Amino acid sequence: MNSHDLLLVHTGTVIEEDSLTLGQLCRACGAHADWIISLVEESIIEPQGKEMRLWRFSGASLVRARSALRLQRDLGVNLAGIALALDLMEELKSLRTQMKTLGHV
Amino acid sequence: MQYKDYYKIMGLSRDTSQDEIKRAYRKLARKYHPDVSKEKDAEAKFKELGEAYEVLKDPEKRAAYDQLGANWKAGQDFRPPPNWNEGFEFKGGGFTSDEAGAYSDFFEQLFGRAGFRPGDRGQYGFHARGQDSHAKIYIDLEDSFRGATRNISLSTPEMNAQGQVQVKHRSLNIKIPKGIKAGQHIRLAGQGSPGSGSGQSGDLFLEIAFNNHPLYRVSETDVYLDLPVTPWEAALGAKIKVPTPEGSVDLKIPSNSRQGSKLRLTGRGIPAPAPGDFYVVLQIALPQANTEQAKAVYQKMHEELDFNPRQALGVYYQ
Repeated sequence: MNSHDLLLVHTGTVIEEDSLTLGQLCRACGAHADWIISLVEESIIEPQGKEMRLWRFSGASLVRARSALRLQRDLGVNLAGIALALDLMEELKSLRTQMKTLGHV
Repeated sequence: MQYKDYYKIMGLSRDTSQDEIKRAYRKLARKYHPDVSKEKDAEAKFKELGEAYEVLKDPEKRAAYDQLGANWKAGQDFRPPPNWNEGFEFKGGGFTSDEAGAYSDFFEQLFGRAGFRPGDRGQYGFHARGQDSHAKIYIDLEDSFRGATRNISLSTPEMNAQGQVQVKHRSLNIKIPKGIKAGQHIRLAGQGSPGSGSGQSGDLFLEIAFNNHPLYRVSETDVYLDLPVTPWEAALGAKIKVPTPEGSVDLKIPSNSRQGSKLRLTGRGIPAPAPGDFYVVLQIALPQANTEQAKAVYQKMHEELDFNPRQALGVYYQ
């Protein structure tokens, strides 16, 4: 790496609540559109916009979709199981944060 | 190269049946899955477990591995004996996992390296665009308040010209925009895996997380501070200096404040497009009665204040 690279600063774009299209989310997860659509049908991720071509996904959807992908691949969990696991994991996470806030950890 | 005890990794003895191995894997995989587990080194454990299962689930690979003998200790320096795998045929090569580059040198020495495997991507689009990559980066809360430039190092497995997987390290300077919050992503176009042929590079997605802060807690865009106050400041009211990520401010404590009271400084949380609030949570600190003078003051309070904090419990003294 030369000194020029060291000086180079990359400015990215922040993904807001509604900035990823279906195509972008598919690419970002390395998954087929069909699979992403089945996640929406199972309410695992919830896009804004009524029609599929208007769907916009949040950064949180990206995290959930990638988690879902790993749960399916590594543990063989089906979609209903993934939905349940992700919801419970989120609840657990918020409970842990609360515990930390209350000084129990 | 270090010997790996795959049985020990899975907590099994050498005479375990194939069915039991499968059950043990399922159970441990749930325990150490990085998405589920709260164990610190879950990711490394899960990888190790995947490698152990990759060998032990396949009767042929297991038999070959068993043939090395039971006298090796984990971590011991290891060279495979010549022709150790004579007569074994590892169907489909050593790897059946998607994640090439995920296995140890020990595994690769015994069962070979992964060859090139086109991922799902190849079937998805017509362009040989590089894959998008992902990383989580930890920043300080102050970075979000001021905006910052941070240097991050990334290691990504990449395929070289011979089709072998190599871990490539690189570092990038990233602009952290002001007002970013945990869980948000920054997308850097063209910084993912390189495309093949004339294909574009993929994008790099960086998920933001905050380092633990010695003073502040963060919830979404709101920032919390536990503020120790004296009993008289809480009781009589006071004006005190309070630290915030943007510098200290003067805060008025109203009289008769109680333990755990929350005081809000509107708009002084994370400076997102919809800025969060800053909350001060009062923590009443009691002076110790370790001098005659202090004891006298407590004694005086006892004599002169009619105060029973246990009223609601329905028990009374005397």
